[in-house]
Amino acid sequence: MNKFKLSGVIFVMCSIFLAGCADKTQRIDIHHDTGDQVMGLDYRDFNQAAAEAVQSMLKSGALNKKGGDRYILAISRITNDTMQHIDTDQLIKKIRIELLGSGKVVVTTAVGINGAEDEMSSKARELRQNDEFNQRTVQKKGQMIAPDMSLSGKILQRNIRMDDGKQQVEYYFMLSLTEIKTGLAWWEGETIIGKRGSGKSVAW
Amino acid sequence: MKIYSLIFVVLIVLSGCASKSYVKVVDSSVSRYIDIDDVKERLREDGLKELQVSGENETDEYILLRYRVTWKDEDGFEIPSISSNWTDLPVHKNANFSINIIAPNTKAHDYQLFINKQGD
Repeated sequence: MNKFKLSGVIFVMCSIFLAGCADKTQRIDIHHDTGDQVMGLDYRDFNQAAAEAVQSMLKSGALNKKGGDRYILAISRITNDTMQHIDTDQLIKKIRIELLGSGKVVVTTAVGINGAEDEMSSKARELRQNDEFNQRTVQKKGQMIAPDMSLSGKILQRNIRMDDGKQQVEYYFMLSLTEIKTGLAWWEGETIIGKRGSGKSVAW
Repeated sequence: MKIYSLIFVVLIVLSGCASKSYVKVVDSSVSRYIDIDDVKERLREDGLKELQVSGENETDEYILLRYRVTWKDEDGFEIPSISSNWTDLPVHKNANFSINIIAPNTKAHDYQLFINKQGD
């Protein structure tokens, strides 16, 4: 019995000792992140790609509507063609926020490649003829605005094994802004982010 | 006495009109490597302010610097923008470089552009 008690005490002491040695979790200062780069994509890469895309779009003048009015932008398919489980909204949301802030674009959430991003615009219209709702507060027909432009793109990854055993990973952020009326791409942009590291690193 | 009062008033008026925009090389060690030659700004037809900062790397080494811009409206309030994050600035040896930035919206009136070393 004493033997079991002693083992238990040693086990608990070791656990406490090891827990004390473990690295403490730190919050990243995203405004001044001096942390090492990673082979995968992190928020710094998405920030850079989004910033370059927005600057390029604004400089091109493709979003300058006659009369200073705003374009209605729909978000089309953004393909994640990388080996990582990333949500393409990590890129697109930053672009949307910046474009909305520019005063040149309003994004529609009622039209999307896989249906509406926010289904409530349509759901709320199902209240028509529902006696429980004051019909004056229900949206009338023909109020929604159809998109003028569409933003589509792809995030691509290429892994290259180098002669010295190191690994090079290239990420391509490709975006197109298409005028829906004509189907013509008025703006296209590409940002390349390359990383080189140990061949043992895993980029997904 | 009257002329001094007039000069004083004119100086106050002029200081009120002075732009609050500037370009700043944050680290003094970077100032030894690069020279900022010119800062140009223009108002585009679409109402957005465009800024171009030109400089020169006077060393025999390629340097990777970075820059960020904060934009302010006419009342001095900061306009949130993705361009306030650091952006890489490749500067080739013995070569000129330029930074070309467009304002996030038409309300952007003044800017503060900071240039710094990587990792600082």
